[in-house]
Amino acid sequence: MAKHETPLLDELEKGPWPSFVTDLKQQAETKPECWDILGQLELSYKDRITHWKHGGIVGVFGYGGGIVGRYSDVPKQFPGVEHFHTVRIAQPSGLYYSTENLRALMDLWEKYGSGVTNMHGSTGDMVFLGTRTENLEPLFWDLTHDLKQDLGGSGSNLRTPSCCLGESRCEWACYDAQEVCNHLTQHYQDEIHRPAFPYKFKFKFSACANDCVAAVARSDFSVIGTWKDNIRIDQAAVKAYVDGADGYPSNGGAHKGGNWGAFDIQAEVIDLCPTQCMWMEGDELKIDDAECTRCMHCINVMPRALRPGAQQGASILIGAKAPILDGAQFSTLVIPFIEVKKENDFEDIIDVIEKVWDWWMEVGKNRERVGETMQRIGLPTFLSVMEIEPLPQHVKEPRSNPYVFWKEEEVPGGWDRDIKEFRKRHAM
Amino acid sequence: MALSLEELEAAIIEKATKSPKPQLYIKDFYKCDPDAKPRQIKNVANDLVKKGELMFWSSGSTTMYARPDRIKDEEGSEGIN
Amino acid sequence: MGYDPKNPMEGRITDLGPRYYGDMLPPVIKENKGTWLYHEIIEPGVLVHVAENGAKVFTVRCGSPRLVTVNYVRDICDIADKHCDGHVRFTTRNNIEFMVDAEEKVAELKATIATYGNKFPIGGTGACVTNIVHTQGWIHCHTPATDASGPVKAVMDDLFEYFGSMSLPAQVRIALACCLNMCGAVHASDIAILGIHRTPPMIDNERISGVCELPLAIASCPLGAVKPAKATVNGEEIKTVKVNAERCMFCGNCYTMCPAMPLADPEGDGIAILVGGKVSNAKSAPKFSKLVVPFLPNTTPRWPETVKVVREILEAYAKDAKKYERVGEWAERIGWEKFFEKTGIPFTEKSIDDYRLAYDTWRTTTQFKYTSHTAAYTK
Repeated sequence: MAKHETPLLDELEKGPWPSFVTDLKQQAETKPECWDILGQLELSYKDRITHWKHGGIVGVFGYGGGIVGRYSDVPKQFPGVEHFHTVRIAQPSGLYYSTENLRALMDLWEKYGSGVTNMHGSTGDMVFLGTRTENLEPLFWDLTHDLKQDLGGSGSNLRTPSCCLGESRCEWACYDAQEVCNHLTQHYQDEIHRPAFPYKFKFKFSACANDCVAAVARSDFSVIGTWKDNIRIDQAAVKAYVDGADGYPSNGGAHKGGNWGAFDIQAEVIDLCPTQCMWMEGDELKIDDAECTRCMHCINVMPRALRPGAQQGASILIGAKAPILDGAQFSTLVIPFIEVKKENDFEDIIDVIEKVWDWWMEVGKNRERVGETMQRIGLPTFLSVMEIEPLPQHVKEPRSNPYVFWKEEEVPGGWDRDIKEFRKRHAM
Repeated sequence: MALSLEELEAAIIEKATKSPKPQLYIKDFYKCDPDAKPRQIKNVANDLVKKGELMFWSSGSTTMYARPDRIKDEEGSEGIN
Repeated sequence: MGYDPKNPMEGRITDLGPRYYGDMLPPVIKENKGTWLYHEIIEPGVLVHVAENGAKVFTVRCGSPRLVTVNYVRDICDIADKHCDGHVRFTTRNNIEFMVDAEEKVAELKATIATYGNKFPIGGTGACVTNIVHTQGWIHCHTPATDASGPVKAVMDDLFEYFGSMSLPAQVRIALACCLNMCGAVHASDIAILGIHRTPPMIDNERISGVCELPLAIASCPLGAVKPAKATVNGEEIKTVKVNAERCMFCGNCYTMCPAMPLADPEGDGIAILVGGKVSNAKSAPKFSKLVVPFLPNTTPRWPETVKVVREILEAYAKDAKKYERVGEWAERIGWEKFFEKTGIPFTEKSIDDYRLAYDTWRTTTQFKYTSHTAAYTK
C-alpha cells in the first residue's frame, strides 16, 4: 500500500494533545494498511462525509454479537480498508490489565488486524478497529485458545456490562462493583453473545452516587451504591479541615489550582447540602441522617472526615438511554436499597434482572429500549409487574393531571351499569 | 398447548422461509408458539443458528434472524453465520 | 495448532467471558481492596490513596487519544513494566493510570513518561477539563455527521492548559458523539459536542429493493415521515418509500435500517453544542445537557468554530461560577438568559423546544432577568 498525501490530517499533528495522526503514521511503517486508513480519512476530511458502509456481519460462527461489519465505499482507492470490521473484546471489570495480557492482545491484533484500537469503546469493551472477514474466525480461535478470553456484545444482545473501579481503589465504594460486574458478565454469556431481546440492554455498576460509569445516564439497568445507616464522621478530621491542617485540602485536593481562599465549612459543605441537614455545634459537625439523601457532596469535600455509612448496598434504577428516538432518559429509581452480596451469587439482583427481561421480552416492541417500554406502558404497571409496592420515592412529585387509569375492581359496583335503570332517575 | 421442541423448530424454520421479508425479529417467532416463554423461543432460534438452519443478520444496531439462502450479501461475506 | 477452516467446529471454545479482573490487579491494589480510607490529589494528575493499614498507592494519570495503535499500547506496557510491576489501568474517560506503591517511585515514573514527549500528558484530575469521551466518527462509523477524533484533538489542544491544572470551579466533562445515536452518550455532559444532520434522506430507488426491507424502513421513523411509494426503475415499477421532508427531524434512524436512504451531506452536516448536563448525584440530581448552539459547520481539519464556542463557554463559566458549581448548576443559578449573555452565544429559536413534551421547558412565570435580549422592551 502506497503512502498517501494527507495535508489536512497533517494539521492534526500540531498542538500539545497527543495526535492520533502521528500515531497512525508511525504504525503505518509496520502495518501499511494504516496508510489506507489515513488516506480514506483524509478523503473524508476533504469531502466532509464518511466513506464507510455497513455490512450484515454480526459475529463469529454461532455468535450474534461482538463483531460489527464495516466496508469502505472507496475500496479501489484504499484496498487496505476494503473490509474494516470492528471486533469488540470484553474488558476485565474495572479496566485493570497485566501488561502480559495487554501485550498478547496487541500481538493478536497486529497479526489479524489493522493494529488500530480503542482503549476503550463507549460501552466499555476494548475495540479492535479494522479487519477482514477471513481473519475473524482465526482471530477468535487464538483469542479463546491462547488468551482465554472472549468477544463482547453488540446488536440486540446484552451489551458487555461495565463498572467503576469500585473497592479496588476507592474509599467510597458501597459494594464490590468489579465482583458483581464480572459475575453477571459470566452468568449471562449466552445473552451477551446471542440476541435475546427486542433491542440492546446494558448493565452498569457504579459503587457510589458520584456514578463514575454514568450508569444513570447510559444503562438500562443501573446499580448505584448507597447506604442505609449514618455517614461515619471523624470529628478530629473535621477540625483538621476547618483548621486547614496539612494533608486536609478541600475536595481531596481537587481545587488546589484555584484561588479560592481558606476552606469554609459553612459555605462549602453545610450551605451546599441539598437537604440542609448539617450544622456545627462548636467544633463538631452534626448530621441529621434521617434527612440525608446521600448525594456524596460532603463526603467528596472532606474525604478524610466523612465516609459512607457502614450498612452498604445499592439502589437499582432502570431505563436510561440516549435520545433516539423520543428523547434521552435517565434511569428511574425502582428499588431504593438492595444488598449486593457475593455470598448468594447476587441472587437478589438476578431476580430483579430476570423479572425485567421476562416482561420486556414479552411486551417490548422491536427496537424499543426498556425505558421506552416503561414509558409507553406506564410506571404503575411496570412496578406491579416487578411486584414492587409503589412508593413516593418512585416519583419526583405526584402527577398534576387527574387522568388515573382506574381499574374496574377498584370501583364499588364495577363498570357494568344499565342505562335504562339510569334513565328512570335521570331524564335526558 | 405448547409445541414439542421439534414442532417449534419446524414452525420457526417455516416462518423464516415463508415470511415476505427474509430478516425477522426474535419477536416474529413468538407467534410460532404463543404458549412458549419468549426466552424458550430465543433459545431454540439461537440453536437453529448453530445448526445452520438460521443465520444472524445485523441492521446496524439490531440483530435479526434469516434463512441463510434468503440473504444475498453483496459484500460476499457468506460463511460468517 | 490453530484455526482449521475445514473443521471450524473442531475444538471450538465459546462463552469464556472476559479475563478475571482479580488476575489483573497490581499487588498493592489486590492487597488493600475494600480497605481504602481516603485519597488526595497531590498535584494535577497524581493521586494518593491510603488504606486502613497505612498502605499507599500513588497513581499518575495520563490522557490518551482513545484512538490508538498497538505501538502506542506497547509504549504503555513498557512504562508499566519498568515502574508498575507490569500493571496498568484505564479510566472510563480513556485516561491511562500508572500505579506505584511508594511516593519515591512517582518521580522516576513521571520522568519516564516525559521521555515520550506529548504522548502521555499528565493531568485529568480534580477541577479540570479531563479527557473527552467520544465516538468513532469518520475513522470507522457509517452514520456520522462529523468526525470524532479530529474535533476532539482540536478542542483538547485548545483547552490543554485546563487538562494539566485544577483551577476551574468544578470538574468539566466534555463529550463528543458523531450522530444522534450517541454511542458516546453525551446527553449528560457539562459540554456536549454533537454531530447532527440537516438534510433529509435521499431515496436510492435503484438500490432500495436489494438492500432494504421497506416495512422496517417505514417503521423506523419516529414521526411517520417515511411512507410507502412506487417508482419506475429501468421501465419497471418497483416498491419504494418517500420521505415527507417537512416532518423529518434528521435523526438518521431510517438510514440505520435502510442503507438506500443516505442523509449525510457536507453542507448539511455539522455540530450542535449542548451544555449543562451532569451524571453525578452530588448536590443536584443528574441533568440533561441543553441545546445552546444549534449548528456549526464541519470546517476540517480543525473545527475552529467549535473550538471557539467551547472555549467561550468554559471561560465564561470559569470566571463566573462558584466553587463546586458544575456548568449546569451555574447556568440554573444565574438563569439561562444570563448564560447566553455571559457566554455571548446568540439565542435562537432553535433552542426553544418544539418536539414532544416541549411545554415542560417553556417559561410559565413572571420571574426572569432583564438581559440584552429584552432591550427592545425596556429601552
